[in-house]
Amino acid sequence: MSTTITSAGTPTDPAGSSRRATLTFGGVLRSEWIKLRTVRSTVWCYAIILLLTVAFGLLLTATFNSRGIGPLPDDGQQAFALQVTTLSIGFSQLVASVLGVLVISGEYGTGMIRSTFTAVPKRIPALLAKAIVFGLITFVVGLVSIVLTALITAPILPGVGIEPDFGDSQYLLGLGGGALSLALVGLMSLAIGAIVRNSAAAIATSLGLLLVVPTVLQILASVTQTTWGLNVATFLPGSASQALYSYGAEGSVINGVVSLSSLEGGLVMMAWVLALTVVAALLIKRRDV
Amino acid sequence: MIEVQGLTKRYGDKTAVDGISFTAEPGVVTGFLGPNGAGKSTTMRMIVGLDRPTAGSATVNGKRYADHSAPLHEVGALLDAKAVHPGRSALGHLLAMGATHGIGRTRVDEVIAITGLESVAKKRVRGFSLGMGQRLGIAAALLGDPATLILDEPVNGLDPEGVIWVRTLARQLAAEGRTVFLSSHLMSEMAQTADHIIVLGRGRVIADSSVGEIIALSSGTAVRVRTPDADRFASLIAAPGVTITRSESDLLVVNGVPAPRLGELASSNGVILHELTPAAGTLEDAYLTLTQDEVEYHAGGPGAATPAAATAAMTEGATR
Repeated sequence: MSTTITSAGTPTDPAGSSRRATLTFGGVLRSEWIKLRTVRSTVWCYAIILLLTVAFGLLLTATFNSRGIGPLPDDGQQAFALQVTTLSIGFSQLVASVLGVLVISGEYGTGMIRSTFTAVPKRIPALLAKAIVFGLITFVVGLVSIVLTALITAPILPGVGIEPDFGDSQYLLGLGGGALSLALVGLMSLAIGAIVRNSAAAIATSLGLLLVVPTVLQILASVTQTTWGLNVATFLPGSASQALYSYGAEGSVINGVVSLSSLEGGLVMMAWVLALTVVAALLIKRRDV
Repeated sequence: MIEVQGLTKRYGDKTAVDGISFTAEPGVVTGFLGPNGAGKSTTMRMIVGLDRPTAGSATVNGKRYADHSAPLHEVGALLDAKAVHPGRSALGHLLAMGATHGIGRTRVDEVIAITGLESVAKKRVRGFSLGMGQRLGIAAALLGDPATLILDEPVNGLDPEGVIWVRTLARQLAAEGRTVFLSSHLMSEMAQTADHIIVLGRGRVIADSSVGEIIALSSGTAVRVRTPDADRFASLIAAPGVTITRSESDLLVVNGVPAPRLGELASSNGVILHELTPAAGTLEDAYLTLTQDEVEYHAGGPGAATPAAATAAMTEGATR
């Protein structure tokens, strides 16, 4: 590499000029956007989400056979049409979860966090900007994947006896809810990543909360013949986020077992994200890096 | 300008930085010298708010670093060459850092040019050598055209050419009126770069003065005199306040008489001199004297910690 001895450079923006560089939240948002798109893992994760959504939708449409059960009722047709586009979300959530963790724990693992906190020494704006940019992009990618799947499968559905009303507000809310659940699970994992800081441990914690804890609770419930385990599981991120994209989900209590409406599920998920983000913000402000 | 007052950092019952106070002035290069583990990096991290001080304060240009409206314009810091995501290109890293302060592509391209990274700017940092990583760290530090530069071991991993480049850059930045504060465990490096030196040992400031004073402080002014007439010459110059050490039959090390005076004495008394060397006590000697009791981690066994061995190791390190 050649070495040239040059000056620190006449700054394009010398101190005192009207265009003096200043730290702004808008700037921090732009910085996080640049960071997100200049790392390959982001692109891969989002590509996987898109592919999973379309592939699961096509698979479900292609393998559906209504002959045995006769024509579905209107509600059933709508629910099926929604399920075609959101079947993959259970898996996509795991991808969003891993990406959410990596967005922040990757910075701790590589030392990048020191550059980030040198540029944004108050730190919390950096965490919030990260969450806003990642949450927004994940929502958009989720929505694009879901809508794309709906468009691709729309011409095939009548062939298997499903003729849904695409203008149905419940159906449209479900599409948005699917994308929202993806973004909220990702944000929850981002907060966990900020709290735990180590990638492997944070991914294990996030996936454990999404997959392992509900299973354990279900086993407990069936072993002990009680409902409390099931009711706790209802409020965990996996189940609460599912309510967001279940067709016409209504809150109910049947035989002591609680289920959540889409709105309630969304609120429970937001409470998870909010609570964990507050903890993350308090810790991020205090810790040495 | 960096002002540090009673700065302290404890990790459990271990004190890394022990109530230090100092000032780094604009327009000069202030060297921060000390053995590894003396607390240099911790101090630098506290100045930019990455570590929270247990006690005391550190301000930059009169304010806490985090309270400035444009931190990158106040301080450019190279704290850890690995403070970069390896999957991102140098260009992407600098654009992301700059974006926080509204610093755009033009300035990013400038600092890439200044640090000679043009050819690798679009490559991912993962493949960078230590030296290139160091250049990228310096590029990031220069991004905000900062009034103060904090560089932790900036010559680490650089080839000789790069070492000279950093030295020249540091001198030039100071000449432009900026505060330049750089650390090193290499005395010889400091001797060539810094105007003022703060020596740190076990978390305490052991010396804080100009390079010249630091040398004079501990080593005095010794002169090596080689002469076949050593006995006679020793008796000639013997006087109160003059110390003469004889290490070889024809070699005297004289303290307290300047070299020109020794030459005159030899000439007027007809003594033949084979050598007359003012051993302007190297900064290495001064440093070792100052930190002798402060080195916390001696390499290897007790033998490895002798001044001679340590000096050799340091000199080697400096020229590598």
